[in-house]
Amino acid sequence: MKKNKQNFWVGVAQLKDTQKFEEISSNEFPEELPLEKTLTEEVLQAPASRRDFLKYLGFGLGAATIAASCDIPVKRAIPYVVKPDEIVPGIANYYASTFVRGGDYCSVLVKTREGRPIKIEGNSLCPVTRGGTSARAQASVLDLYNVNRFQGPGMMKDGKFKAMSWEELDKKVSTALSSAAVVRILTHTNLSPTFKAVLKEFTERYPGAKVLTYDPVSCSALLQASEATHGAAIVPEFHFDKADTIVSFGADFLGTWISPVEYARQYASRRRIEDVKHPNMSYHVQVESHMSLTGSNADKRILIRPSEQGAAIAALYNALAAKNGAPAVPAPKINDKAAAAIKELSNRLQSAKGKALVVSGSNNLGDQLLINAINQLLDSYGNTIGFERVSKQRQGMDREAQELLGEMNKGAVDVLIVLGDANPAWELPNAEEFRAAMAKVKTKISMVGVPNETASLCDYIAPDHHYLESWGDAEPKAGVYSLQQPTIAPLFNTRQAGESLLRWAESANFDPGTAEEPPYYRYLKKFWKENLFPQQSAYSDFQKFWDHSLHDGIFSLPANADYAVNPVDVQAAAGMQEKPSSAELEMAFYETVNIGGGQYATNPWLMEMPDPVARTTWNNYMAIPVYWDGGNEWKAFKGLNENEIYGMADKVEVEIGGRKQTVDCIRQFGLAENTLAMALGYGREQIGVCGYQEGVNVNPWLGLDKNGNVRYYATDVAVSDKVGEDDAFACVQYHHTMGVKGKDPKTGEELNVDEKTVMTLREGYQGGLTERSVLYYGSTKNLAELVEHIKEKRSEAQEWVENSLYPYDEYNEKYYSQGHHWGMHIDMNACIGCGACQVACIAENNVPVVGRKEVSRHHEMTWLRIDRYFFGDYENPHVAYQPMMCQHCDNAPCENVCPVAATNHSSEGLNQMTYNRCIGTRYCANNCPYKVRRFNWLDFSTADIFPANEYYVSNEEVPFGADNLTRMVLNPDVTVRSRGVIEKCSFCVQRLQEGKLTAKKEGRKLVDADVRSACQTACPTGAITFGDLNSKGDLAKRLDSPLNYYVLEEVGIRPSVAYSARVVNTDESLKPERGEEAHGENHEG
Amino acid sequence: MVFASAGLWAQGGDPAAGKLVFKNYCGACHNKDMKTDMTGPALGGVEERWADYPREDLYAWIRNSQGLIASGHPMAVELWEKWKPVQMSAFPNLTDEDIENVLAFIEQEYTKQPVVAQGPAGTAGGEAKADYSWLYWVIFVVLAVVAVVLSRLIARMKYLAELKAGNADAQMPAFGQMFRSKAFLTFFSFFVLAWLSFTVINRAINLGRQQGYQPEQPIKFSHATHAGLHKIDCKFCHDGARRSKHSVIPSANTCMNCHRAIKVGSTYGTAELTKIFASIGYDPSTDSYIENYDQLSQEEIEKIYTKWMRDQYMVANGSFDAIGETTVKQQWADIVSSLTNETKDKIQGPIEWVRVHNLPDHVYYNHSQHVTVGGLECQTCHGPIEEMEVVRQYAPLSMGWCVNCHRQTEVAAFKDNPYYQSYHRLHEELASGKRSKVTVEDIGGTECQKCHY
Repeated sequence: MKKNKQNFWVGVAQLKDTQKFEEISSNEFPEELPLEKTLTEEVLQAPASRRDFLKYLGFGLGAATIAASCDIPVKRAIPYVVKPDEIVPGIANYYASTFVRGGDYCSVLVKTREGRPIKIEGNSLCPVTRGGTSARAQASVLDLYNVNRFQGPGMMKDGKFKAMSWEELDKKVSTALSSAAVVRILTHTNLSPTFKAVLKEFTERYPGAKVLTYDPVSCSALLQASEATHGAAIVPEFHFDKADTIVSFGADFLGTWISPVEYARQYASRRRIEDVKHPNMSYHVQVESHMSLTGSNADKRILIRPSEQGAAIAALYNALAAKNGAPAVPAPKINDKAAAAIKELSNRLQSAKGKALVVSGSNNLGDQLLINAINQLLDSYGNTIGFERVSKQRQGMDREAQELLGEMNKGAVDVLIVLGDANPAWELPNAEEFRAAMAKVKTKISMVGVPNETASLCDYIAPDHHYLESWGDAEPKAGVYSLQQPTIAPLFNTRQAGESLLRWAESANFDPGTAEEPPYYRYLKKFWKENLFPQQSAYSDFQKFWDHSLHDGIFSLPANADYAVNPVDVQAAAGMQEKPSSAELEMAFYETVNIGGGQYATNPWLMEMPDPVARTTWNNYMAIPVYWDGGNEWKAFKGLNENEIYGMADKVEVEIGGRKQTVDCIRQFGLAENTLAMALGYGREQIGVCGYQEGVNVNPWLGLDKNGNVRYYATDVAVSDKVGEDDAFACVQYHHTMGVKGKDPKTGEELNVDEKTVMTLREGYQGGLTERSVLYYGSTKNLAELVEHIKEKRSEAQEWVENSLYPYDEYNEKYYSQGHHWGMHIDMNACIGCGACQVACIAENNVPVVGRKEVSRHHEMTWLRIDRYFFGDYENPHVAYQPMMCQHCDNAPCENVCPVAATNHSSEGLNQMTYNRCIGTRYCANNCPYKVRRFNWLDFSTADIFPANEYYVSNEEVPFGADNLTRMVLNPDVTVRSRGVIEKCSFCVQRLQEGKLTAKKEGRKLVDADVRSACQTACPTGAITFGDLNSKGDLAKRLDSPLNYYVLEEVGIRPSVAYSARVVNTDESLKPERGEEAHGENHEG
Repeated sequence: MVFASAGLWAQGGDPAAGKLVFKNYCGACHNKDMKTDMTGPALGGVEERWADYPREDLYAWIRNSQGLIASGHPMAVELWEKWKPVQMSAFPNLTDEDIENVLAFIEQEYTKQPVVAQGPAGTAGGEAKADYSWLYWVIFVVLAVVAVVLSRLIARMKYLAELKAGNADAQMPAFGQMFRSKAFLTFFSFFVLAWLSFTVINRAINLGRQQGYQPEQPIKFSHATHAGLHKIDCKFCHDGARRSKHSVIPSANTCMNCHRAIKVGSTYGTAELTKIFASIGYDPSTDSYIENYDQLSQEEIEKIYTKWMRDQYMVANGSFDAIGETTVKQQWADIVSSLTNETKDKIQGPIEWVRVHNLPDHVYYNHSQHVTVGGLECQTCHGPIEEMEVVRQYAPLSMGWCVNCHRQTEVAAFKDNPYYQSYHRLHEELASGKRSKVTVEDIGGTECQKCHY
């Protein structure tokens, strides 16, 4: 096996051409000033006459004089006419509500200021999410202020939207419905019991009506398998926290699969090392063909080609069946490595019987049935899989969408109502056929809030509210009821879908209500009164029950656990499986954490959030495998993407099933041989401004299997040679590289790529330090060794820390040791890289969106980035995620180089940044070893008064963030930065100040709950702990671990953020450091 | 006897507890000096006035005055005749003890010797600082004379020396020539340059500062009347100051708490108060809020309020004449122009006040930190607001001004508020006498990110 266990790396360029990589990485900003692009030869050579000089001088003086003599504009202070009791301007209110989008669910607290929702927090009372959030939930607040939302009802005429009134629309729809024989309602998963009651009323009123459900990224095979095995199309309750051994066949349960926030918390609870002497870690094996977020966290990845998945599952089944005396099934051959690994895995699973959990993301019924059989063999039911609270978060069946398509093709459908995000005209593999069939439907009504491909083909648009404007409920898991309440009055003339349907159904339960109590609120309340209130006994008065549920946002009832576990007909199941393909190339399609099935593509925060594994933004690059010859040679598939590090990606033409599209490539580790991978959800055509034609739509490349389920891979893939180059390669993996060591190919010397020019090596100067402690990692096998190593390294570093010019002890005694001294701890074993913190930071701190082009120029503004490091085997590496933000060093190197003292230190240990003082020299950014400072190259936030400076993210008419609607999302307690200043993580100083003030006002000591950073509250796994180093709170407990280290501690700058080493649960001995050997020297044949 | 018994009763209540009751329930309408009338009568000596009746009658009167009037109680009817149509709100939730407490507080306030009101910090201290700047001018003139005399002496001596050396052409330079000498020109240019730079820098620093800014407001609201004459607590209307970063401009319904009773102003009559009514949609003629006010046209609104103003004119003048016609017309025109502006074309809706205190966007300032935690009086920064007819920006609100105050001001309740316990070194120093006080600066109050983030 070709192997190098001693190194960790960020990408091929670093491994292959260290020198070039160093050159690029050693600069804070890798490029020249972009002058040559704006200043043409003509401009540069233009002669400047004395007359010109005088002209400009005169103008300048005149302009300055006029500007100086201008009156200060009159500002108005506008009070309320009648101030609502609950609103105090300047004080935030929090309302419990529920983020629901299709099957995606998160119970949330919505922070509102002066009546505007501005931030999403997790609701810790929710038994499903327990206060965790996802990037999608965090970003959802921005969708409320999307300028592309439908502003009222209307009709589509010749592809153009024509506004109409609700009365007109209701009349037209009622007419259409009254004469319709066949009415179809198409929806994504719907979690709301009340809305289902509405649908029931509707279908009772129109007997020809039927509700069909599908999901943008399908789990229908899992549901079908449940139907067969458990008697109902449900998702059983998985307990990742109860499993010692977890095996996932392509299920990205930490990122996108069914209920990632819930699973991530369960998973992380067994990945933390609480006690180094007795690590009680679960063992996680991921069998997959490209590296998913979940796979990147696994202890072992078994690489298979996409078409081999069925055979791999069958192989595992057979191995376990042999051990448990069950019949074998025919299992085709898979690649040798994987076959051996699966055999080994079966032993491990067998010994963990009763404490094992096997899941699969496959959308093949045969696969899922065999998974159920495997879990039966392993006694998982009743142990790691339960039925007490089955999940309802996926209900969609692919066959229902296909069924509808068939009916439509026959011209049998009179009225089609498309609910919410459902977008069959784009999402289905045969969307083209669906679009054609839509012409045969007499009346089509869309209820989507933001334009999509389906709505553009509908006759009427009855736009629904955004969830933050809506009343509603959700039942994500059996017996867990989550309420949704509006946090702002509807911004536009939209109407809740439930209300529209009730009106059209001429429901007897429709109550017109009042302005304060809209009809759907009355309906919802009535539903709860009649259906849920009688089932509980805690409250005898309905109003109290309602108030309590609304306050908490959550209400739980004991759930019925009556599901069967029937034996699986394994032979039939095996017959339904897909067979491994002999095609030379295969492509896997996957759902990303940020964009989902495409429904999130309209959100700029999510578009700019890097994919956790590939680290790409604004595009779905085609992942191409890299191969290592065992020596110094690295070759990517077809020799593509040689210039990634210069911000260039190669374009190739890909043909699948006769459809050709041009895609951009990215080199990716951890792909199976001859396997490509691309993300779903990109390349939307009708979406408004953001997300429009960003990336390539891969849906037409998907197929259907024998059971009518969507197949998320393709085997008949033909890839051309390079056909062009994309010079806006929006991948951040080579940006802000820090602390990485390389080897000079000429002299053979080890170099620090970010400081190589400063000093010769090993001379005792800061620049000469080579053993850089960016990342410590090890395995459970050599945990003691790792602890010892960290201890040794940290004590070595102490020398440098103590030999400082700065009198730290004096500062410490005088300032830091009393009052507050803020610090943070990040548990790298709990961090799964999901990116929720990153989006939370953007929302909390008004971080601007810069767009694809600017990202490609290293100009992304994120205060918190999640660095992704590979380590271990080159061909199938392990991954560590390291959230990196300002480390608030107590001997900060950025502070002493600022010529204007715009950045300096506070007595509470904060590295303060004062924007208004900053003159933009960027010395601080240059001197920051962590590269966490961001410079506003352009007026991204459009805070400048000169429109010429404004920056356009996409092709929007008004720059993103400049319109008053989008600006409503801004946090009023945080300054909006203008062009030419540096910014960086402030440890959420506005929250610290608020927390301190609360404690002072209440006349009590500060507690941990007063001061929690945005990233900390967003994290689903609790990987981030913030607090006061001077108090004995949560942070003190975390700082006790011997696995803790400080990044680049030996530089002597005393950072305030501690990390714990990344530990992999494996028998392999991962040397706990970056060794002296460079790449390629230590491989075993 | 009467005094004695009043005294005895007064001892029954706790004035400290009464102060809170007074603040919460009475202070909005009754003057807290207990000696002058406000919306309601001065409360001083109330017990004497009611001494002829059973104590319970006074309780009943305070709890529900209208009830007592309706029952025909002679004292109640007398008061009603004097004060109608101003009705006292009913406070049925007040216990006998509360009332005794508040009566004790009234007695205490009424009988205590008047104290000289504490002036705002800026003007506190009584005597103005003596101005010694004339001394500089005297010195300047003396020095200038000396310089001229010396220069003449030097010239003279030079001239004599030349003569002595045998230079017959030597001339005594004329007086004016002195100003053309190189030395003088150098000095002169230097001073001019220094003065110019000083001015330019100062002006530049002051760009955007608005000390003394006193814009005209849509309503001639007088702080002198409300806070000065009637001594209404600032935080009664600006209630955000206690709990929020904003002090909060009171909403129109806050005004209505009192002005539902006081419909005609003492200074401007109907001219200003009608603006509040027109903003919120209150019809003073019928004493009710107008239904669907938001949908009314300007003409309909005009009808309602001109009727009111006309009626009031008649009440005041006995008849409605040509002057009345013009007055009402003018008042209406003023109401329209005050309640509308280039961005607001409807009369209905909020009163758009002109913001007087404008901090730049990059400054975070929190009122509650200063008012509730720091215990500062509003006047410390806003000046003698209770004397201002039209509010004026009193302080420069410059960074130097803020920082200076943070350097000098002692942290309130540093010893008592458990929050500050974490500053153990400062506590030790205080205890050992090494330090006499802890200023805001000592706990980091002048660091950048206390105000800029």
